[in-house]
Amino acid sequence: MSTVYREFRFLMRERSALLWLGLAFMSATIAVVLGLKEVSEQRTTIADLITADQVEREVVKKDLADWGSAAYYSFHLTYDEPSDFAFAALGQRDLSPWKHRIRMLALEGQIYESDTTNPDFALIGRIDFAFVASLLSPLFLILLLHDLRSRERAAGRLDFIEATASGKMIWRTRGLLRTTLLWLCLVLPLWVGGIIAGASLMVLLIASAVVLTHLLIWWLIASWVANKDYTSAVNLVSLIGVWVVLAVITPAAIKAGVNVAVPIPDGGEILLTQREAVNDAWDLPKQATFEPFVKRHPELADYAKIDTPFEWKWYYAFQQVGDQNAESLSHAYLDGRIKRDVITSSLALLSPPVLTERLLQKQAQTDVAASIAYEERVRAYHADLRSWYYPKLFKDVEFETELLSLRPQYSTD
Amino acid sequence: MNNALEANSLSINRSGKPVLNDISFTVPAGEIYALLGGNGAGKSTTLLTFLGFLEAASGSVSVQGEQVNKNVKKAREAIAYLPEAATLYGHMSAYENLRYFLDLANAKASDSELNEALDSVALQTAARSQHMVTYSKGMRQKTAIALAILRDSPILLLDEPTSGLDPLAIDEFNRLARKLADQGRTILMVTHDVYGACQVADRIGLLRRGKLVGAFDRTEGEIDTETVHRAFAERAST
Ligand SMILES: Nc1ncnc2c1ncn2[C@@H]1O[C@H](COP(=O)(O)OP(=O)(O)O)[C@@H](O)[C@H]1O
Ligand SMILES: [Mg+2]
Repeated sequence: MSTVYREFRFLMRERSALLWLGLAFMSATIAVVLGLKEVSEQRTTIADLITADQVEREVVKKDLADWGSAAYYSFHLTYDEPSDFAFAALGQRDLSPWKHRIRMLALEGQIYESDTTNPDFALIGRIDFAFVASLLSPLFLILLLHDLRSRERAAGRLDFIEATASGKMIWRTRGLLRTTLLWLCLVLPLWVGGIIAGASLMVLLIASAVVLTHLLIWWLIASWVANKDYTSAVNLVSLIGVWVVLAVITPAAIKAGVNVAVPIPDGGEILLTQREAVNDAWDLPKQATFEPFVKRHPELADYAKIDTPFEWKWYYAFQQVGDQNAESLSHAYLDGRIKRDVITSSLALLSPPVLTERLLQKQAQTDVAASIAYEERVRAYHADLRSWYYPKLFKDVEFETELLSLRPQYSTD
Repeated sequence: MNNALEANSLSINRSGKPVLNDISFTVPAGEIYALLGGNGAGKSTTLLTFLGFLEAASGSVSVQGEQVNKNVKKAREAIAYLPEAATLYGHMSAYENLRYFLDLANAKASDSELNEALDSVALQTAARSQHMVTYSKGMRQKTAIALAILRDSPILLLDEPTSGLDPLAIDEFNRLARKLADQGRTILMVTHDVYGACQVADRIGLLRRGKLVGAFDRTEGEIDTETVHRAFAERAST
């Protein structure tokens, strides 16, 4: 313990080390504050939308005369509530939608409306804590560790120190002390943020362990380079080189490689396919709509016919057929994203920064899996709406405004 | 009497070049051995070998009867080393440096012991709590000597301890070295100061281009300033 205390006091006299630690602490604090702000804005948005959503449905309700227009004019808010740890790793919440106001029209277009290009897989995201922990912290550690030995050699002190300390343990002590302090500078703001946001103890512990492991990996790399007896400048350049390879080039290569290996359709393509199907349906014989529709709803087969030019049931049937037409694309898109994510998660072992970011996003439930899970909840909810409306639309159940309050409610779990 | 330091047919290569060539000498416990030689003769290399920093190409060195390469840690623990051009930390005071390095060496000293040691090397009281960047070369050297003394190790390896000291301080240092040896410490020192070496050393070795070209033993009556000076000028000055 006295060794650690001695080296701690020694470190406290070292201005450059204090500067890097201070900057690390500031970056982490800023990232946490920005993350908390972003999440609180998202929460406010959701709360506002929930209220507005209910108010609007109530207003609309008054003018409704049948089930068809009820379904047509009623929007339903769906949203993905940020987790209590989302502030630390915004992840997919930054790249793909976490709220949709949906109607009982064709769904695929509504899901991909705001998304004409595929969401990027967050290998390098915005400035949140995960960014600081995965990308910046190795740089701070490199700045802290690259010249531990080399500057002593340059000052003619290296042999003296090693002779006095009777060994090389001193470098491990100094290196690990700096690593630990950097970890504290990063994790302290995280814990304060976590307590403010009400994150669970377990999540905070896991996240802290992830950050510590990441720093220890870089401590190993830095020690390995710094033990080679080069000058401080050579050490710094070499370590920055390693950082560029592991934190910039490897992630970019992983991303490019995965994108080539697993091609996926464009979100816009799905949107277009579904819309075209819906638009075309107006001019097609009614049977062309009802046939594929009945395949999915044999229980409605007896009711799937109309004699008038327009009936709501036909309208909603071709909405659904629009979705059915886009289904294979949509599945390919979904499967592709899952496959990319799975491959990326194994390749992430090649890049400690990517791995760190992904692990934090997993804890924050802002990873691709969480984003897909939300999309699936939206689909399930939309399916509930259809199941609720279809019998009424097809079997000519008499319209009652009161019954509308029995419509399925979106719930977040 | 057992030997605190021993070099047996020691040869050392650095960067592929032979730097020490088959040198042998012994320093009995409690004696002062002075190594004289010109620049690049291999004096510092000899000290570093006793500390286990360099590997012998052939031959060996022993500290307190144990071969250094068998237990480097033990050898270092027995030795207080004063490097050539000793640089302690400039951003700390003499007190802080002494405390830091003593702790690093697992040694302890009270405040009054620190002051005693600094008194014995005559470092001005006022300077002791100032940052060492402000020190002259002589003051830095004095502080480093004080550290070597405070380490309380049985063996001192001193690389040009008097370089940078004024003549009065050199005399002071030589008296101090004698006193330490009389207390039972063994000193191997590298020096340019032939006169001082002749005053305090029990043995003197002349080193020239990695070879021991002369050895003088006080008990044999071989050490007097004139003889050693002449030998140094003739055999070891280049
Ligand atoms: N780090 C080193 N690497 C390679 N050669 C060295 C190194 N240090 C010293 N030498 C060489 O070893 C020889 C002896 O050096 P040194 O022991 O420092 O001499 P002295 O202390 O007697 O002036 C010199 O020729 C010097 O060039
Ligand atoms: Mg030398």
